[in-house]
Amino acid sequence: MKDRSYVDIFTEWDIVAARQLGRNEAKEIGFGTVDQARITTAISELARNIYLYAGTGRIEISRIHEKSLFGISIVASDQGPGIADVRQVMNDGYTTSGGLGAGMPGVKRLMDEFDLVTKQGVGTTITTIKWLR
Amino acid sequence: MNMRIPILKLDEILIVSIQWELDDQKAIQFQEDLLNKIHGTSARGVVIDLTPIDFIDSFIAKVLGDVISMSRLMGAKVVITGIQPGVAITLIELGIRLENVMTALDLENGLARLRAELEA
Amino acid sequence: MNKKMVVAINAHMDEILKRWQRGMEDDKGERYFEIMPEHLVDKTSREFAELMTSNLLENDVVNPEKLSDFTGKIVRFGWSIKFVNKSIDQFSSVSFDVLEENEVITRDNLRAYMDIFVRWITPLRESIIEAYSVEWERTVSLQKIALQELSASLIPVFDKISVMPLVGTIDTERAKLIMENLLEGVVKQRAEVVLLDITGVPVVDTMVAHHIIQAADAVRLVGAKCMLVGIRPEIAQTIVTLGIELTDFTTTSTLRRGMQEALKMTNRQMVEVDSQ
Repeated sequence: MKDRSYVDIFTEWDIVAARQLGRNEAKEIGFGTVDQARITTAISELARNIYLYAGTGRIEISRIHEKSLFGISIVASDQGPGIADVRQVMNDGYTTSGGLGAGMPGVKRLMDEFDLVTKQGVGTTITTIKWLR
Repeated sequence: MNMRIPILKLDEILIVSIQWELDDQKAIQFQEDLLNKIHGTSARGVVIDLTPIDFIDSFIAKVLGDVISMSRLMGAKVVITGIQPGVAITLIELGIRLENVMTALDLENGLARLRAELEA
Repeated sequence: MNKKMVVAINAHMDEILKRWQRGMEDDKGERYFEIMPEHLVDKTSREFAELMTSNLLENDVVNPEKLSDFTGKIVRFGWSIKFVNKSIDQFSSVSFDVLEENEVITRDNLRAYMDIFVRWITPLRESIIEAYSVEWERTVSLQKIALQELSASLIPVFDKISVMPLVGTIDTERAKLIMENLLEGVVKQRAEVVLLDITGVPVVDTMVAHHIIQAADAVRLVGAKCMLVGIRPEIAQTIVTLGIELTDFTTTSTLRRGMQEALKMTNRQMVEVDSQ
């Protein structure tokens, strides 16, 4: 049992690999089926964003333990173009790819903690956490 | 990897049971296959059963929403069945409401609902 | 010097405990000893003393298992943190008195002993208080879970019709739990219509309404219909005043009327039968 594992995103298939890894981890940590769906979906959204906007990047999944809380953390990082207007990206319905525009604000709602660091021309790192209730 | 999603025909209704996790390619392939089948069979209704599916992200939701609208344009009503609680909750939290989509608890209810719609 | 003190304290333990208990009983307002049976007071006092003396020898640290055992116990007995703090003070001052009376502590070594006492009591107090607060947090979170488990169950009333009575304030965390219970129940009970009864919800603001709308939407996705019942006049007023759109789904004032609607939706009705 590893505490930390990752999937590098190069192709569409890697999106599937990333969410499978996340789903298995979530199951092992003891999340219920609804939270498993939330976590898998969040990973899928994050991985797809990397694929669509940065081309390549990495999804890193770790088990975390803080005080009496257990949880899963997902870090999505890329060295892509960065996000020009973070506020806009966090708005429901905003899309540049012809998708549903549910991505980022949706991920934030699915998870318990959400942190976005981005710099134009340098890349983007999104860290999200779901705690086991 | 080339496994296609089987589409069965029962009278004027097409039945699709999605058994495996959909990757992007397979989802788009399915969209194409279903529209072709509607065209080829002049089906008036479609039931898509999602019971084994444990998550739907915004991409697959979009493909699904599109396929429903496209089917409607071709004169086929679509009922989605077997959406799992976790899937429904994540869709809502993502902000995807799938409005104007007919749903039913399972394949059986879905067929009944579709037949009632087609008779009306 | 410490060793001498340990020997002396252990030798006079009965006396120390007696005085300590008396001191704690005198404390007005704190009646923890009165409500505890005598043998339990005795046992707990001895455990407390054991814990208090466990780090007396230099390099000794408090045994973490014993510590959490004991704090777990006193939290369950309902000792307040103030009482625990006072117990530590009292124990320390009684020990000091006894040592003085038995001339272990004298005018000459007073200063040195005061240092020893400080080094003895301060870390001990810190660990006890910390263990106490951990135990307390655990109790609170357990109670929270108990409350959550209690508060949202879907009841299958008729074939195809289930009811979920909501009671109490709905916050985001509870709303999520309610939604999960609701959907899992709908699928398990194969309910085609669910009635959410909000008679017991004191306030419906935009946030609560938003959660209810989301729940209804999710219910629609799994293939059932959601109805909102038990809307009291003041709730109807706030909903309209706040401009909340609830037009998408059926609402009724009482559960009874909602049930009639639900039967109609599933093509059934209630009829009275003649009794012979």
